[in-house]
Amino acid sequence: MIMRALFKHTILALCGVLSLCANASAADGQLKIPEFAGLADKAAESVIITLDPSLLRLAARFLDPADPQDAAAREAIAGIKGIYVRSYKFDADFAYPKADVDLVRKQLGAPGWQRLVEVRSRKEQQNVDIYLLVEQEKANGLAIIASQPREFTIVNIVGSIDMRKLHELEGQFGIPKLEIEEKK
Amino acid sequence: MSKDFEQQLRDALQPVDPEEGFDQRVMARIAQERSRSRTKITRWASVALAASVLFVAVLGAHQWQLRREQEGLEARKQLIEALRLTGEKLDVAYQAVNRESSLPADDGSGA
Repeated sequence: MIMRALFKHTILALCGVLSLCANASAADGQLKIPEFAGLADKAAESVIITLDPSLLRLAARFLDPADPQDAAAREAIAGIKGIYVRSYKFDADFAYPKADVDLVRKQLGAPGWQRLVEVRSRKEQQNVDIYLLVEQEKANGLAIIASQPREFTIVNIVGSIDMRKLHELEGQFGIPKLEIEEKK
Repeated sequence: MSKDFEQQLRDALQPVDPEEGFDQRVMARIAQERSRSRTKITRWASVALAASVLFVAVLGAHQWQLRREQEGLEARKQLIEALRLTGEKLDVAYQAVNRESSLPADDGSGA
């Protein structure tokens, strides 16, 4: 009897710890992106990018300050802890598991995440959602979920995002001038 | 004459008992020579081992540097690709927002 109670309490404590860990993960702006196992084989084109803090630092060391594109990239990633991208293009419509994409979208309902832009284009069957994780009036995470019948892209940028620096990327990577008003 | 010479020769070459401790001295000398050659071999082996360790360390460091450089270049490529993709998707949203703000009525797309 005592053993059963002890076991129950241990399980409850473990659940608590796991829940705390999950909250911590949500709080730092990193989304749990599904594995999308086997999708790369089905896709006509796939881009899987996982840049954790150490890889970002390493990448930054190889950016040429004399190159304007590299210099802009270096500026843009200052304060960023991680960049995670999953992008797949298919030859057929809806060959990807929509539920997995929705699973990511659901995580953006957590406190702190704010939808910046929502695009629903019936004509092009294109959906784009841009979310920011705002904490103490600072953007600590960015998520982009873009889906079309034959492709979907999930971008998750973790860390302090300076929208002005993102703004300065205009013309470097095809990034437009975003009319984003900063909170003061 | 020749007999005298023979006798002289025999007298000169007659067996002589070695001094006391001669065999020990010979054995000690042999042991000393052996130990000296062993020390020489050990010294050469140590030098060869140190050189090999140094060579392996230099080669390892070079390989590590090469691998790190490859990883760095790959990470840089991924970073540029990630920023390009981010820019592309932001552009889609931007175009849609722009389209929406320039159209007075709803044309079936929304932002």
